[in-house]
Amino acid sequence: MARITKRALAATAGIVMLSTTLAACGGDEGDNGDGPGGTAGKGGTLYVKAEDAIEHLDPHRTYIGLHINMLARTVTRGLLTQSTTDDPAPIPDIATDTGTMAAGGKEWSFTIRDDVKWEDGEAVTCEDFRYGYSRNFATDVITGGPSFYPLSFTDIPGAAEGAPEYSGPYTEKGQDLYDKAVTCDGNTITYRFNKSWPDFNLAVAALHFAAPYRADQDKGDKSNLEIFSNGPYKLEGEWDKESGGTLVQNENYGADDTGTRKALPDKIVFQLGDKAETTYEEIIADAGPAKTTISFNRLPASMFSQIGNEIPEDRYLNVASPFIDYLWFNTEKLDPALRQALAVSTDREAWINASGGERSYKIADSIINPNVPGYAPNSVWKDVPPSGDADQAKTILEDAGIDTPVKVSLQYPQSEGADKQAAALQDSWNSSGLFEVELKPEGDVYYTNIQKPDHDYEIGWAGWGADWNSPSTVLPPLFDSRANIQGGSLGQDYGKYRGDEFNKKLDEASIAAGAGDDAARDKAYQEGGHDPRQRRGLLPARERAVQLRLGLGC
Amino acid sequence: MTEFSLTKSGSGEDAFLSVRDLKVHFPTQDGIVKATDGLSFSLERGKTLGIVGESGSGKSVSSSAILGLHSGSNAKISGEIILDGEDLLSLSEEEMRQRRGKDVAMIFQDPLSAMHPYYTVGNQIAEAYRVHNDVTKAAAKARAVEMLARVGIPQPDRRVDDYPHQFSGGMRQRAMIAMGLINDPGLLIADEPTTALDVTVQAQILDLLQDLQREFNSAVIIITHDLGVVAEMADDVLVMYAGRAVEYGPCKEILTHPEMPYTWGLLSSVPEVTGDTDAPLIPIPGNPPSLLNPPSGCAFHPRCPHRDKVADDLCKTELPELLPGGRGPGHTKRCHLANPDEIYQTEVLAEIAPDLVKES
Amino acid sequence: MLAYLVRRLFAGVILLLVMTLVVFMLFFASPVDPVQFSCGRNCSPELKKQTEKALGYDKPAVVQWKDFVQGIAVGRDYPDDPELRAAAPELVTECNAPCFGYSTFNTKTVNEEIAETFPISLSLAIVALIIWLTGGVLLGVTAALTKGSILDRGLVGASLILYAFPTFFIGLFALKFIAIKWGLWDKPVYTPIAEGGIGEWLYHLLMPGAVLAAVFMAAYVRMTRAFVLESMTEDYIRTAKAKGVRPRIVLFKHTMRAALTPLVTMTGLDFAGLMGGAIITETVFNFNGLGKLAVDANKVYDLPTIIGLVVLLAAFVIIANIIVDVLYAVIDPRVRLG
Repeated sequence: MARITKRALAATAGIVMLSTTLAACGGDEGDNGDGPGGTAGKGGTLYVKAEDAIEHLDPHRTYIGLHINMLARTVTRGLLTQSTTDDPAPIPDIATDTGTMAAGGKEWSFTIRDDVKWEDGEAVTCEDFRYGYSRNFATDVITGGPSFYPLSFTDIPGAAEGAPEYSGPYTEKGQDLYDKAVTCDGNTITYRFNKSWPDFNLAVAALHFAAPYRADQDKGDKSNLEIFSNGPYKLEGEWDKESGGTLVQNENYGADDTGTRKALPDKIVFQLGDKAETTYEEIIADAGPAKTTISFNRLPASMFSQIGNEIPEDRYLNVASPFIDYLWFNTEKLDPALRQALAVSTDREAWINASGGERSYKIADSIINPNVPGYAPNSVWKDVPPSGDADQAKTILEDAGIDTPVKVSLQYPQSEGADKQAAALQDSWNSSGLFEVELKPEGDVYYTNIQKPDHDYEIGWAGWGADWNSPSTVLPPLFDSRANIQGGSLGQDYGKYRGDEFNKKLDEASIAAGAGDDAARDKAYQEGGHDPRQRRGLLPARERAVQLRLGLGC
Repeated sequence: MTEFSLTKSGSGEDAFLSVRDLKVHFPTQDGIVKATDGLSFSLERGKTLGIVGESGSGKSVSSSAILGLHSGSNAKISGEIILDGEDLLSLSEEEMRQRRGKDVAMIFQDPLSAMHPYYTVGNQIAEAYRVHNDVTKAAAKARAVEMLARVGIPQPDRRVDDYPHQFSGGMRQRAMIAMGLINDPGLLIADEPTTALDVTVQAQILDLLQDLQREFNSAVIIITHDLGVVAEMADDVLVMYAGRAVEYGPCKEILTHPEMPYTWGLLSSVPEVTGDTDAPLIPIPGNPPSLLNPPSGCAFHPRCPHRDKVADDLCKTELPELLPGGRGPGHTKRCHLANPDEIYQTEVLAEIAPDLVKES
Repeated sequence: MLAYLVRRLFAGVILLLVMTLVVFMLFFASPVDPVQFSCGRNCSPELKKQTEKALGYDKPAVVQWKDFVQGIAVGRDYPDDPELRAAAPELVTECNAPCFGYSTFNTKTVNEEIAETFPISLSLAIVALIIWLTGGVLLGVTAALTKGSILDRGLVGASLILYAFPTFFIGLFALKFIAIKWGLWDKPVYTPIAEGGIGEWLYHLLMPGAVLAAVFMAAYVRMTRAFVLESMTEDYIRTAKAKGVRPRIVLFKHTMRAALTPLVTMTGLDFAGLMGGAIITETVFNFNGLGKLAVDANKVYDLPTIIGLVVLLAAFVIIANIIVDVLYAVIDPRVRLG
């Protein structure tokens, strides 16, 4: 979680932006796919810049939303894909429809189109999908991706316990087990699970763990930065981890009815390593290639003041990310009343202002993103102003008989930005006179420490985003103590929350989803979600992203 | 040597080197440092002048002025330095350079630091030759070998390629002498040439210098604080104190009949190797004066044990002239004492060499 | 001489081995769990074990170190798991001796990483060296010769100011204003000689090279000035003057030779350090040299790359030390090797 959190927070910004530009680059003047308003033109070169290297191009090893989206629009097609708009419904891509669920969510089937081709002109087959999915099991080679899901769900002995007896296509140990679990019947692929996976369709639309892969192209780890495309672009020459690569039009691009790949630029050149600030300086200077450059990184907060001046208002786009930043409380150390008092007295506005203001974040009232089904605002926040309510906190503490001021400490991974945010939180709590907050910044070791079952941290910082459009990728991974707290690790349950009621609701929701009863599922999630948020007094803030629009003419 | 053969100041017409009223002043932020203040002496070919004094008395500064080594510094030099009929102070920097090492050469106190550590001895000697003679490197080197042989370096053709650090102290000084004499200069200035050497080596070096002087018929100025060296080498002696000559005369005269308390002090502080080992060594009390703020009157008066013998505090108020005392015109001294020779014989000598007094 | 070199090199190799062992120990003693870090979200204990194996961190540190040393001696094949190699030969990466390891983060052998990044760091170091050495020595000598003048004070003052500016500040300024805002110079992008010829190569290296050189030049101006002034007061300089040697020769032959000798040592060691990568300059200008590689490797706890770079940098410094010592013996006859 550690790594993903840190990285993803910085990288999510471009998801929708990139979808938009890659899908409709050229003349789309509307924001966020609001509809083409200009003269869409084909041709030209689009430059994509990013500060950090892209760790994986191998579809089964990508787990960063931005990269998945980028690859999905250019070179990696799957069974289903996501819309470039806010519409959460999955769109059939290489599959003929959005799939058929059977056996209460324990079985999913898709039919593969026969007119989609690899870049060498050969058709994408059912076997390619079956081979691709099998790569997830080679956990000592195919690392970094969301293989957690196929590993634990697929109906292979041992999978439910986290140690499937199949070890992937390289050693082929337990191959017969896999051959029974995932089958091809003509053009139809069927996945069998050991438990209900009712939103498998959402998962394959959002992630690439089920993407097809050609066995003859597979060199394991050596394929990590290789691209064998079935999309509108293909890699020209080699990809260099540090500096990037160039995508050109793929003439063998097969049929595509998704409408998500306009593929207007002739070339997409990835240039990695420049600092975001440098890239934005270039974009502002607007000379040469910078005219058709976009950045994977957010506009640095220090440059916000240039919006409306050097940066024309209509040249940047502010896009919501699926990520939520939150503070967690150690439920073993802090009394429920104390947690609630801390929660209501938090000046969330100051917290946001300390990190770039509303161009970076906005206040969230749930750990679940409003776009995700099952979202409901947390009643804790109903009567709390954004700047906090010290009086209410005082009453709570008095009623509980807690002497003030209460000494508590806030732990966080140290960085320049995090220091400012932590100081703002400290101020907001201390100014009420109810608390004496001590700040305890740490290095990267923070991420290791908060997963230790015996940690004695009191308040900490964390972030999370749904893997796909369902609370099942938010509430269970964060708060299901049965899944999280095991094997010497807290998983993501840093606050050591254990709630049997809550766990029961998660099970209810899962059963309802398996039965196809969406209303019952959402209701169970809402009820369950209410519980931990109420009891733990979570303090979410929703992240936004700022992105410069690219110049015209790409 | 009689007192009439003394080449004294003012008779510079026929002298090879004649220095008149030489002043070397260094302006500093705190005032003017008068390192040399009105020095006059003269020297004939084949003769040796010993300049004696404590460190800081202006010996080295004066000799450097003769070589024109103060150019490029902020020194203010006035007076006359007439070498072979030519006033060196009126020469241009380039003209002076052409005479340095050719007409006037100098050897220095510490031959290890005075030789460049990165060049061979032969290279450095040959360089001195090539600067003033248009010859090939090989010819210069041959000349260097020849000179090394002349100054008594064994196997000179091999040692010529050695570096200074590979030479012993005495050999280094021999090499320095070879370097100084390679152009057959009329005047050789040896600045403390034996100070850094063993006593036995000192004698060899002094012998060598004397031999070479005879051979080349050069005039030699030997700068030293060691009266032993002076006794052995010098024809004339010039005693310097605080930038001025305080006593000047033939060597024997000065050593046997000194007329200036400072000279007495120098003599008293030198051990006589052959003399009475019981004889006390009497250091001169106090420290050399500041050249920035020299004492009023006679610069030596704060340290002079005999100043009470002069009436009216004259030592404190009036600078004595450098004038002949009671021993004839060739022996001048800068002292107010009326009967210095008598005081020396009765008071000073009695203390440092009682035997000598008895005998006489 | 030969015996001396052999002895020094042998001692250097021992030192390197000890250093790598220390790095291995420190890496695994660090409170940050590198496996947890790479395992990512939804990391189950089983998955973590597999990740550990994939990263090659599953064996005890000493065994890993032994494998590393063995790899240097006789080469190594990756992935480490012999069963996997036998089952899927297409996965195998051969890493010939001296094999410094395989970075799972960069999907390359460390040897390949170094081969790709070293020329960039070396180019940068060479250009910077030329700039700072010529600039530093020329200006330092000028200052020494005009000691006390306005020029001298100006040079000393300017070098002090330059010395006080952090490299990243100068670098960002050059990049942001000179290259991007004012467009006076193209934004530097490393271009190998093979691609653009010497001209292109140099053009793109000048700005980062000058930025990198700035702080060194500032230091070298002051050092050169001090060394020249010091050696001008040496007795042997007076001797040379007393011989009647021309002032120009006194300066360039006698004074400089002595003054610049200590600079040889400084230059050798500084240059060796820079060959190991100029972290800040490379990061600011996005030059993928050893320095940037090191920064990136540290970010993700990429042990093989870190070890490889430690060995390389230490080897540079050790070799530079030996070269400087030998050179010193050549320059200064008083110095004997032994």
